[in-house]
Amino acid sequence: MIRIVTLDRIDPGDLAFLTATLYRAFGVGTEHAGDRELPAGVERKDGKVDAEKLLADAPTVRALPDDKVLYLTAAPLALRAGPLGEPPCWGFADFGGERAIVSTARLPERGVTEASIETWRRRLAREATHALGHTWDLHHCYDARCAMHPSWSQGLSDQPEPDLCNFCREKSERKIRLAKT
Amino acid sequence: MRGPSARHPDDQREQLPAVEGTIADAAEMKVGDRVVYPNQGVCAVVGVEEQDILGQKLQLVRMRREEDGAAVLVPKNKVPSIGLRRVATGAQMEGVFHYLAAQFDDPELDWKVRHRDNADRLIAGGVLGVAEVVKGLHSLSRIRPLPTKEREQYDNARHLLVHEIAVSLGVPPVLAEDYVDFALMPPAGVKFDLKPPPTPVLLPSRPKKRRPVAEEEDDLGLGELGIDLDLAGALEGAAAPEGEAPAAEGEGTTEGAEGEGTEPAAEGAGAEPAEDAGEEPPIPAAVPRAKPAPKPERPARAKAAAPKAAPKAAKKAPAKKAAKPAAKPAAKARGKGAAKRGGKKK
Repeated sequence: MIRIVTLDRIDPGDLAFLTATLYRAFGVGTEHAGDRELPAGVERKDGKVDAEKLLADAPTVRALPDDKVLYLTAAPLALRAGPLGEPPCWGFADFGGERAIVSTARLPERGVTEASIETWRRRLAREATHALGHTWDLHHCYDARCAMHPSWSQGLSDQPEPDLCNFCREKSERKIRLAKT
Repeated sequence: MRGPSARHPDDQREQLPAVEGTIADAAEMKVGDRVVYPNQGVCAVVGVEEQDILGQKLQLVRMRREEDGAAVLVPKNKVPSIGLRRVATGAQMEGVFHYLAAQFDDPELDWKVRHRDNADRLIAGGVLGVAEVVKGLHSLSRIRPLPTKEREQYDNARHLLVHEIAVSLGVPPVLAEDYVDFALMPPAGVKFDLKPPPTPVLLPSRPKKRRPVAEEEDDLGLGELGIDLDLAGALEGAAAPEGEAPAAEGEGTTEGAEGEGTEPAAEGAGAEPAEDAGEEPPIPAAVPRAKPAPKPERPARAKAAAPKAAPKAAKKAPAKKAAKPAAKPAAKARGKGAAKRGGKKK
């Protein structure tokens, strides 16, 4: 089961679209588990939120052992700089674990037209699928049409689909089938 | 930058340097050490224990794979040979990232060579070998989608690399993966100040399969045993009356079999070495030449094959000879063939 926790206000229509898309992507039930506050002390000096720290300190929700918890926030996330610099951050996850977090800060403007809202929702669903994919041991995929393709890649289309490629879908299905519950 | 270097020739086999951090002796391992088991990932040394296996008392090093807690037991004396190594250092990791971020435009296109080399790199190439597999397959995936086996190999290599980076740099695996892809697929407008990447891993050469040499196959060792069958006279007697065998062999040249064509001329001088010379370096063939005893057998053996071939040739040769002039006018033959085919179709 995927439990979505919102750390900032999200439109109910967007949440409904997200739950439906995640259900289609992974074949497991998805529900909104409620709203929570952003934990204190996770902000960095530059105003961004430390993704690692946020994931560690995020408020807990009631969940079964194999459940996945997805946190949604509007705060911009940041990661530790690596040997070649700091990679841009759309979301973060506990690899093979339970928790994932997605930020809407880097998504394109939501706008007010139906088309722009649809684009925004699809991109949010894509990033959520990507982050949750990591919790099912999925690595980044070289296929630019797959949701597991890196979000900053230049090969990504303007409106990427929230679908997994065959390889990633089969791998995630295997993991889900092996789940204890 | 060019791709990973080609396989070593045999003469350099002994000079291959060991991958940095390879554990040469089990005594170097202490409880709590983190080591990398090739193709398995990062393991923590739990201790050394003695077990009775099939009546033998074996000293085993017990390790626990960090990823899933699986137990790994390695006989102490096998530690140097399985390629256990220490987790890559920060300096090594920096080299890996500079390697990943470098231009790569020369992926190996022969899938057999590529798959075999990648398997070797995963086992014996250290962390840079794993990075080479990831980079090589990633650049290939830009040209065409990877086949299933290589897609799995790519995923496995990525898994090993990500976990080793995570352990080495002390970051979560997802962050390590972001670092890897940040280097492999930098975002628009990002340019790295790259250092020269480390030298690609040198692969051990595989033993080449020796082609069987005809002389060695045929040599039953009768000369060494002092047995002389003296088939020559008997065969000459059998083959001479027919008289058409050499002609039949000679015809073979017109059919396109080059090796056969040399036989009649070279029979006296040893036809077989002449055949071998075209295929393989003559090192194995030179060995029987040095022996004086088997020499007289060669004509005998060469002719030993003749009685089998001679009657066949004798039967075939007239037919061929008769057929050839008829077949020469190509138009006629084609016309017939075409008519036959046409007839069948109808």
